[in-house]
Amino acid sequence: MTQLVADAVRQASVNFVDTVAMLLPRVLITVSIVAVGWVIAWALKWAVRWILIWLRFNHGCDRIGVGAVLKTADLPPADTLVSLIVFWLVWVGFLLSGVDVLGFTALEGMVRSFALFVPRLLVAIVILVLGVVCANFAWRATLIAGVNARIPSPRVVSGGVRALVLILAGAMALDQIAVARTIVLTAFAIAFGAVMLGLAIAFGVGGGSIARRILDHWFPEHPGAEQEEFRHL
Amino acid sequence: MADESLLSDDLLRQLVALGHVDVLVGIPTLNNATTVVDVVRAAQAGLGKYFPRARSVIFNADSGSDDGTPVLVRDATTDDTGTVTASRPLRTTQRITTPYHGLPGKGSAMRMIFAVADLLSADAIVALDPDVTSVTPEWISALVRPVREGQADLVAPLYSRAAVDGPLVTQLVRPLVRAAYGWRVQEPLMGEFGCSRRFVAHCLERSWGTGVIPDGVDLWMSGEALANGFRPGQAALGPRLLAHARKPPGLPDVFQQVMDAVCSCLELHAGYWLSRGPAEPVPCYGTLPGAVELGPRPDVTRMAESFARDVSALNPVLATILSAPTLAGVTAAAATRPLVYPDELWAATVFEFLLAYHRAVMTREHVTQTLLPLYLGRTASFLLQHGSSGPAVVHDALESLGLAFEQAKPQAAAQWKKA
Amino acid sequence: MSAGDPLWYKDAVIYQIHVKTFFDSDGDGVGDFKGLSSKLDYLEALGVNTLWLLPTFPSPFRDDGYDIADYYSIHPMYGTMEDFTSFLGAAHARGLRVVTELVLNHTSDKHPWFQEARNSRDSPRRDWYVWSDTDDRYRGVRIIFLDTETSNWAWDPVSKQYYWHRFFSHQPDLNYDNPAVREEMWRVMQFWAGLGVDGFRVDAVPYLVEREGTTCEGMPETHEVIRYLRAQLDAHFPGRMLLAEANQVPELVRPYFGDGDEFHMAFHFPLMTRMFMAIRLEDRGPLTDIVRRTPILPDTCQWAVFLRNHDELTLEMVTPEEREFMYDEYASDPVARLNLGIRRRLAPLLDGDRRRIELMNGLLMSLPGSPIVYYGDEIGMGDNVYLGDRNGVRTPMQWSGGWNGGFSSADPEQLAFAMISNPVYGYQAVNVLAQERTHHSLLNWMRRLIRVRRSTRVFSRGTIALLDPPNQRVLAYVRTFEKEQVLVVNNLSGTVQAVELDLSSLAGAIPVEMFGQSLFPRIGSQPYFLTLGPHAFYWFRLRRL
Repeated sequence: MTQLVADAVRQASVNFVDTVAMLLPRVLITVSIVAVGWVIAWALKWAVRWILIWLRFNHGCDRIGVGAVLKTADLPPADTLVSLIVFWLVWVGFLLSGVDVLGFTALEGMVRSFALFVPRLLVAIVILVLGVVCANFAWRATLIAGVNARIPSPRVVSGGVRALVLILAGAMALDQIAVARTIVLTAFAIAFGAVMLGLAIAFGVGGGSIARRILDHWFPEHPGAEQEEFRHL
Repeated sequence: MADESLLSDDLLRQLVALGHVDVLVGIPTLNNATTVVDVVRAAQAGLGKYFPRARSVIFNADSGSDDGTPVLVRDATTDDTGTVTASRPLRTTQRITTPYHGLPGKGSAMRMIFAVADLLSADAIVALDPDVTSVTPEWISALVRPVREGQADLVAPLYSRAAVDGPLVTQLVRPLVRAAYGWRVQEPLMGEFGCSRRFVAHCLERSWGTGVIPDGVDLWMSGEALANGFRPGQAALGPRLLAHARKPPGLPDVFQQVMDAVCSCLELHAGYWLSRGPAEPVPCYGTLPGAVELGPRPDVTRMAESFARDVSALNPVLATILSAPTLAGVTAAAATRPLVYPDELWAATVFEFLLAYHRAVMTREHVTQTLLPLYLGRTASFLLQHGSSGPAVVHDALESLGLAFEQAKPQAAAQWKKA
Repeated sequence: MSAGDPLWYKDAVIYQIHVKTFFDSDGDGVGDFKGLSSKLDYLEALGVNTLWLLPTFPSPFRDDGYDIADYYSIHPMYGTMEDFTSFLGAAHARGLRVVTELVLNHTSDKHPWFQEARNSRDSPRRDWYVWSDTDDRYRGVRIIFLDTETSNWAWDPVSKQYYWHRFFSHQPDLNYDNPAVREEMWRVMQFWAGLGVDGFRVDAVPYLVEREGTTCEGMPETHEVIRYLRAQLDAHFPGRMLLAEANQVPELVRPYFGDGDEFHMAFHFPLMTRMFMAIRLEDRGPLTDIVRRTPILPDTCQWAVFLRNHDELTLEMVTPEEREFMYDEYASDPVARLNLGIRRRLAPLLDGDRRRIELMNGLLMSLPGSPIVYYGDEIGMGDNVYLGDRNGVRTPMQWSGGWNGGFSSADPEQLAFAMISNPVYGYQAVNVLAQERTHHSLLNWMRRLIRVRRSTRVFSRGTIALLDPPNQRVLAYVRTFEKEQVLVVNNLSGTVQAVELDLSSLAGAIPVEMFGQSLFPRIGSQPYFLTLGPHAFYWFRLRRL
């Protein structure tokens, strides 16, 4: 009995050592890949950040409103964020390559799925960013035009416009990464349709005069109707 | 030099036959049939009465009128004018009317006028606005004489203005140009002006602000003259009454054009105005008649009331443009009753908007359109204070405003250089 | 004054003055520097910007001052050194630069250097001149002053040797093989440049060095001397100018510019001769030929062009046939001929014909180079061929119709040279005062001409492209500098001419006549037709709008 146990233990030890001996090179390669990947990712992050600083990327983002959004969300500045994204993308890529070397089948599947997911995630992020930019631009344009056109509650209107654009962008982004597709689609359709219906009712019933004023401003019948009663030049 | 197609063969033949002139009166037109005849008659009478021995030409650059304006210019006579002095001139004043095919706008028309003036070696050049109904023969004398006598290279007009008249000029453009360029030019937007051949040659050497100032050519010329050492002058003309044949653009469009022109000029001439010192007076020729009340005084109460709402609504945008103290000042001013928008605060507001435009903190159109409600608020404030005041009081108030802009300039210039 | 544009001489319009006969301030019958100073306003109004003065050094005046007895002083009859520096300052204050003479080749035999040299063969100055026991060295070298000299060697009875002289026998040549001579002449330049003189007109440059078996003109060693002096001048007085008098064909003058390291300027003698030929022949051939043969100069160099000067109109560098033609046309009276040249002023050479005088001045001002106006030619002064040597073209300036033509208050008999007094060119008929009062006088026309010339750098710095119209009487060319172009058309004949010019390469340009600003029809691809009055010329600025 003792001999059996001893043999079993000896065999187990030998198997373990064999396994370790088989795995060890792969582990070493994986570690090397991950380490080199970290260095490369760090170098790229530094290079991207330097290029973005040289291109005054932050200034451009501030101009289109993205900078303010990041500040509100307590995120780092745009150039740092982009460089961080680059870093993580590159390093994760190396990580996945390293994991692939280990040869674990279960992990391989996960890696493949993740590799397919990442591009869609990137596109969704881009859609969101563009959506934020457009929303801010539309908000500001509507607000300023509304104030100058003497529309009542211009902030409400401009806020509404921004919300609409953000909702649209969010829905598009979620759809892109296929998260709760049916729910998002349905909810968006309901919300958007409700807003449109509400606006139509508001304009048609309660906001006729406002609508008339806006239309008069765009298509005036009486020249100078919207102007003050003296000449500015 | 402009490209070769600026002067058609037909026009050149007319110019060859004309030869050298002493005075050229330029009139850019586009569908001004209702008003241009009086302008031409006044010009002709002015040339005949005040410069009878000078070789002169009335040159019309038309950008495609379909109401017969060029024919009216060519055929206008002075014989049946009872109100205009009819003297028999020693010389025949030639008239040339020609179409031009460039970018639409006054800029292209003036460029052609300048090119012809340069080619004809005209000693003095006058530009008239075909929409103005108050042009008299004396305007020609007032704008030409300082140039011919070698006293000035650019003669800007001086109009008789009531307190309510032209706040975009009196509250914004005039004090800003005074502070920036260091010259007290009353009408930098110059509807009419006179200039010398030397100045014309200088302008033609420039790219003529192609793409920069299609409609702000008058302000661009003022800036070019002041920034390049040409001698400025001002001629007292009188009231300026307009009769637009077509619907004039709305205030937002006008405001946008003016602000674009102002900002573009400041960008162009930054090398000059950033180091320019206190404003110097500009010589004035002639005395102005009293200001003409143009109609019932407008009710600015509505403007004042909407100012507070506008400031509140625009607060998030203003926070991106204005500094915290200025924004606080504007917000506080909006709450005053009656509305009081102090000179110093207004000056700071304008300069900070200019800086925002220069730095492009947001789309530039948004920057200028955000200033519009503040401008209306400032206008309301000024008119509430001085709408009924006499000319002397209004003059002092505008002088005080000019000084406030001058005092705000150094700090703005310092920040401009940092940007 | 020479601070500013280092290439100022390219834009120079030079006025050549004989101080002795310009204006006398102290009534001794001789012009002086105080007198010249008092006439600076006149020169400024004329429009010139550079004055070239004939020699004013102490001299026995056997060659009208070109025989120098002291390089570091002013002859007392012209005034004091203080008068000179005062004149210099006043000229500079009016924006006028001053170029003086530098006679490198020879001195007067009365110069202390020569006196020392001849008195002893052991004198340190002995080797400052070129001596020989015989007169057969440098055999075959031409004699320049043919009318007065029979040899380039002169016997010195004091030191019992021959000395070399390329000009008059009383003007012994300096020996540039002796470094001390070169150093001394640099000290001379240093002295005058230090006072503020803006440039030197260097007399008789080709003859500095002699070598056996050569023409003794333009030796490589001569160029070494020039390069040395130029380098010194540039190092110590940047912006000063050296103008060479080298009466040679243009190809042989070219070496005197070096690679921009010798002379800044040199006279273009053959161009002058051919201008006179062309106008008499009524044929542009001689002019176009010499323009085409004129070599391109280094960018920092410039030709000096002129019509007349203080010397005879030289015919040394023309063919015998051309010389004979010029003698027949311009000096039919042999008394006007001297030393292979013609000793007459511009107006008499052109028969007092106002149109021809204008045309010649128009050519002078529009052909490449810096133009030189000889004093008096701007009012059409005459000459006196009966005065000895070349003094007939150096008579006193005619300022008015009064006493001595306004030149001097001295007795007329006391004057250095007699006034021209005949009814045609005499001071009563031709003088500055009368012409200033007449709007269309030659003087006022010259002022306008110079003003138009100076209104653009096309003439002073531009290239020249000759046109080749079928009408040989018309000389036309295009001057171009940067973006500016000027078309010049000259009618060389005394009759009205029509000409068709091929201006297709200038198609689209609008000619604007520069004196009256008249517009001409736009140039197209077809031949451009023009008519010109007798001896008329047009300058067209070509505009593109």
